[in-house]
Amino acid sequence: MKKIVLGALALTLLSSFVLSAQTAVESGKQLFGDLSARHIGPALMSGRINDMEVHPTNSRVIYTGTAGGGVWKSSDAGTTFTPIFDEYCQSIGAVSLDPNDPDNTIYVGTGETWPRNSVSVGDGLYKSVDGGANWKKLGFEKSERISNVIVNPKNSMEVYVGVLGALWGDSEERGVYKTTDGGTTWEKLLYVNQKTGCADLVMDPNDPNTLYASMWEFRRTGWSFESGGANSALYKSTDGGKTWNKIHKGFPEGKLGRLGVAIAPSNSQVLYTVIEAEKDERKGLYRSNDAGASWEQLNNDFGITVRPFYFSRIVVDPRDENVIVKGGLNGSISRDGGKTFKNLGQMHSDIHDIAFSIKDSDIMYVGTDGGVYRSWDGGTTMEIVENLPLSQFYHISVDDAEPYNVYGGLQDNGSWYGPSSSPGGVQARDWNSVGYGDGFRVLKHPTKNIIYSEMQGAANVWRYDVERNLTKTIQPLATEGDPKLRFNWNPPMAVSAHKPDRFYMGSQFVHRSEDMGDTWEIISPDLTTNDPAKQAQEDSGGLSIDNSGAENHTTVFSIVESPLDENVIWVGTDDGNVQVSQDGGKTWTNTVANIQGLPANTWCYQIEASVFDKGTAYAVFDGHTMNDMNPYAYKTTDFGKTWTNIISDDVVGFARTIQEDYENPDLLFLGTEFGLYITLDGGKEWKKFTNNMPSVAVHAIEMHKATNDLVMGTHGRGVIILDDISPLRELSEEVMGKKVHFFKSQPTEMVESSGFSGSFGGETQFVGQNKTRSAQIKYYLSKRHTFGKMTMEIQDMQGNKIVELGPGKSKGINIVNWAYTRKQPKVAKGKTLSFDGFTSPRVAAGTYKVVMKKGKDIYEHEFDLVYDKKSLLSDADRDLKNATTSKLYDMTQELAYMVYEVDEMLAKADTKSAKKLKTLKETLVITTGDNYVGSAEPQLREKMTALFSKVAASYDKPSSSEMKNLTVVQNRFEKAKADFAKLKKKYKSKEPLAVKSFDEFLDSN
Amino acid sequence: MKTVKLLVAMFALAIMVPVQAQTADEIVSSYLENIGGVEKLKALEGLKITAKLNQMGMELPLEIYQMKDGRTTTIISVQGMTIKDQTFDGETYWGSNQMTMQPEKKDAETTENYKLNLNDFPDAFIDYKEKGYTVELIGTETFDGAETFKVKLTKEPHTIDGKEVQDDTFYYFDTENFVPIAMTMEVKSGPGKGMVQKITYSDYQEVDGLYFAFSWTIGAEGQPQSAPLTIESIELNPTADDSLFAFPETATESKN
Repeated sequence: MKKIVLGALALTLLSSFVLSAQTAVESGKQLFGDLSARHIGPALMSGRINDMEVHPTNSRVIYTGTAGGGVWKSSDAGTTFTPIFDEYCQSIGAVSLDPNDPDNTIYVGTGETWPRNSVSVGDGLYKSVDGGANWKKLGFEKSERISNVIVNPKNSMEVYVGVLGALWGDSEERGVYKTTDGGTTWEKLLYVNQKTGCADLVMDPNDPNTLYASMWEFRRTGWSFESGGANSALYKSTDGGKTWNKIHKGFPEGKLGRLGVAIAPSNSQVLYTVIEAEKDERKGLYRSNDAGASWEQLNNDFGITVRPFYFSRIVVDPRDENVIVKGGLNGSISRDGGKTFKNLGQMHSDIHDIAFSIKDSDIMYVGTDGGVYRSWDGGTTMEIVENLPLSQFYHISVDDAEPYNVYGGLQDNGSWYGPSSSPGGVQARDWNSVGYGDGFRVLKHPTKNIIYSEMQGAANVWRYDVERNLTKTIQPLATEGDPKLRFNWNPPMAVSAHKPDRFYMGSQFVHRSEDMGDTWEIISPDLTTNDPAKQAQEDSGGLSIDNSGAENHTTVFSIVESPLDENVIWVGTDDGNVQVSQDGGKTWTNTVANIQGLPANTWCYQIEASVFDKGTAYAVFDGHTMNDMNPYAYKTTDFGKTWTNIISDDVVGFARTIQEDYENPDLLFLGTEFGLYITLDGGKEWKKFTNNMPSVAVHAIEMHKATNDLVMGTHGRGVIILDDISPLRELSEEVMGKKVHFFKSQPTEMVESSGFSGSFGGETQFVGQNKTRSAQIKYYLSKRHTFGKMTMEIQDMQGNKIVELGPGKSKGINIVNWAYTRKQPKVAKGKTLSFDGFTSPRVAAGTYKVVMKKGKDIYEHEFDLVYDKKSLLSDADRDLKNATTSKLYDMTQELAYMVYEVDEMLAKADTKSAKKLKTLKETLVITTGDNYVGSAEPQLREKMTALFSKVAASYDKPSSSEMKNLTVVQNRFEKAKADFAKLKKKYKSKEPLAVKSFDEFLDSN
Repeated sequence: MKTVKLLVAMFALAIMVPVQAQTADEIVSSYLENIGGVEKLKALEGLKITAKLNQMGMELPLEIYQMKDGRTTTIISVQGMTIKDQTFDGETYWGSNQMTMQPEKKDAETTENYKLNLNDFPDAFIDYKEKGYTVELIGTETFDGAETFKVKLTKEPHTIDGKEVQDDTFYYFDTENFVPIAMTMEVKSGPGKGMVQKITYSDYQEVDGLYFAFSWTIGAEGQPQSAPLTIESIELNPTADDSLFAFPETATESKN
């Protein structure tokens, strides 16, 4: 007996233990539930592509590895693409298929390999053996950039990997690697030094033991770039990588830079290399006709030599050794073996990779800074892939329109704004261009219909009068006595919450204008370190000078005026200062020395001024340009006198941006290189948010105050929005300890806007998801519901059922949408469908309750619906509309019952009665024809439901025309009822009737 | 003392279950055992599922018949009329045209792909080895906030738009009780091509000794939450006349 009791006790303890184990929340996936991000693009300008890959035997299958937006697969020959790598690092160097198993085995080397200033970083090599459904990391964590992955076409176990390696610092993880066991173990075959990596690797398709590798010495800092050195070289191995020899016969003298290399698939003797050299006249394309034993220079046109670090890809037509294509500003194609070139057809500039279709060399796929293009005529005419939303935002802002607009600037793709929701979804045509060049900050004037935008280095800062379609440039100019103004490539701008016409910009100084940029005043000393060693940009580039302005340094990078006090201004600089003024710019204090644990001169990427207290601010630092990949974020509550670390070990990837919630000071959002993190406790613990949120670099976050939407500018996947984060404000230990917790909700406005969204020709375009307009029932479940019944219904306050809904069952946050409509009326059975009968009328405004049954437990929650605030209807109008709709709803159901009765009687009627019933029925419903052009003449059902649908779907009260039509329908129905009553009296049946009651009929199918 | 040991053992067991290494085969066996056992499942002759789909205020009542020999039909009631879809009579796989509401044959490829599944009643995992299928444990994954084992089921290759492709489905078995709470598969043709279809299962309930999920939510990854199919009742071994499934001969004749 004792044992049994103890056993039972053990079981109780056990089950409570199991319960607590299952209710504990350890990861974001256990917490965020149905809270899911939506993507709105834009895709019309797409984004940077790093690599193109075609399937070796199926011409429908194409892959692209993108610079910041992951891996995408097309199975319709490049018409549309879908993402297959969202959970992992989105910066891609190389995508390769195993030629022996191309349907299933895919390798992805992460880390883009055209290392401009704004490049992201990779985190290793991945492999899928099921066509991209699941991925496994094979190591190379510190590789940062993988340039090539090549599988031996005769042996799947043998794979070569070219690692370009770290851009911003020394690293030993670079060179050429090989596995002979399918990726379990790796051997480093070719390594030069900590500064030189493998920029290109090719295998002779006819002899897998012959390999060519170009090694490149390169380094970038926040203020300079250096391409080339004594260690750059082209190597060849003929023994599967055991030994390597330089193949430089005919090469230019002196140091070399980045080399691209390609072999003609149709002739292994023919090789091409493009060489970055010391002397301009010796740069360009070289060809070998003896498998690399000797080389001859063929061409050094601009298109061949331009920016080697950014463009050095050479691709040879698989069917013709003399047709070669070279990446470049426009891309170049030669049909005479490399002697002469012409540009590829018009498309977005900056061509990084090209792939020929396996079937036909007229078909080409080209990866640019603006997406993937297809050609059907050998590269002359290019058409863009329209569903790759790879846009790379640097910054983001929002306005207070309804729906609000999102503003931002893009890498190499100008500045834009577009709506957060739009009829039919957010489409390409919804986006508006508001700036050229590279775009960065775009800010809406707080009160006027004016937009500020800028391009790199503040070469132009535009003030755009949207209504009049007028622009002027307003960038600060040097005045008498000013030193040279140093603007960052990505220069800071800010507006004020206190003075609508105030506008800030930053060079090494803070510039302030009180008249929207017409008049500028410098309100600070040089706030940077002003280190001359970091100001020699005209010498930057190495063997090829590359002074695009992208390396400008010792500049102000972030400016923010406190929303609580216009005299409190925070400034962060790219060389690591955090300055604050409490007197509107008269005096400044550099507070960075008060931050413990932050390496000196770490780039201050963003300062967020608190909405709760003017002495409180958050500073985010990004050290990646000093080869420091750690996240740094700090909080001060005393104007920077002390700073507290708010990063935990949970955060992966360096951070750029933070957003404070407007209501809960402990709720913070952090954007890192690998996605979005959320803390509920002020930074003690962070949880990664992954619901429809790729591991993409989040460069900017803004919260839209009126909707509580979190709007993210990602650098590779466009604008991503997390709608209404308000449930996160309530998540406490106590709430998470409850079995079920309903979150508070604001009254839902039953929006009445209705318009048109014709979208012909949009079949292959990306369309961004809209924000739902439904009422949302949000609750927390401490455990996933799997066993037993769980139901939900909406009731009015008298307990009448309005509608049944399908409840969410996830552990964590659940969201159930209700379009505030009741069930459709029961419609009379005819020969065809009554499409008007599929109208679900809206309920009246008021308080409703949700009743959720979970096993034996019942949970209730009340919520409010209100009419559209923009509606012009009076209460009396509303009453008339609701009453008329209800009347037609009821009539429709009465008619349905009448037809049911007629049918029942018909089935058992004698011939005479049957004839009369049939004649009656033919006036009640359509009894012939089909649902399309074979449709018959409408009868009472059709006229009644047409009016029902018309009245119910209108935003307006019923018109006098509709009311008169109602009389016609009512009279006809009355007559039908009278006729039916007469028929009933005379009715003679062959057998007794068993007719359902009206209520039974309504409950039946 | 003994009881203390027992307690410790039981705690250890409780902790072991979720983290213990499992093979895909063990997971599948536990699953089949937990829902009633292979014997009982194999003895099933057919199912009649009565369900409804609530979507945008529309309530669609459904009746689904699935028979051991592959015959199946889905009967949808709309405005008092019934329309059959996804119906197989042993020979012909057919549905109804939405305009004429008349029966029409599915295309040959769809029919052939359907025929490949004839041996999957009532559960594809039964005798999967004998059928030439393979299962593979991909790993553990959090799904709907619950810890699951992700298992890949690979069936015979099927043909999509003229090309033969591998047929993979992923099941997410709850680590606590080994029932699948979700299934995902790539959409390989049609407008959703490339997207991942996701079906989540819940409300498992017992019917005469067998457990069935009474709620299925069919959606796609990255798309807004869709409304579930709610099952009201499941009848085991229903009587089902051939005429339920038969492709009406007149349909073809009248068109010819």
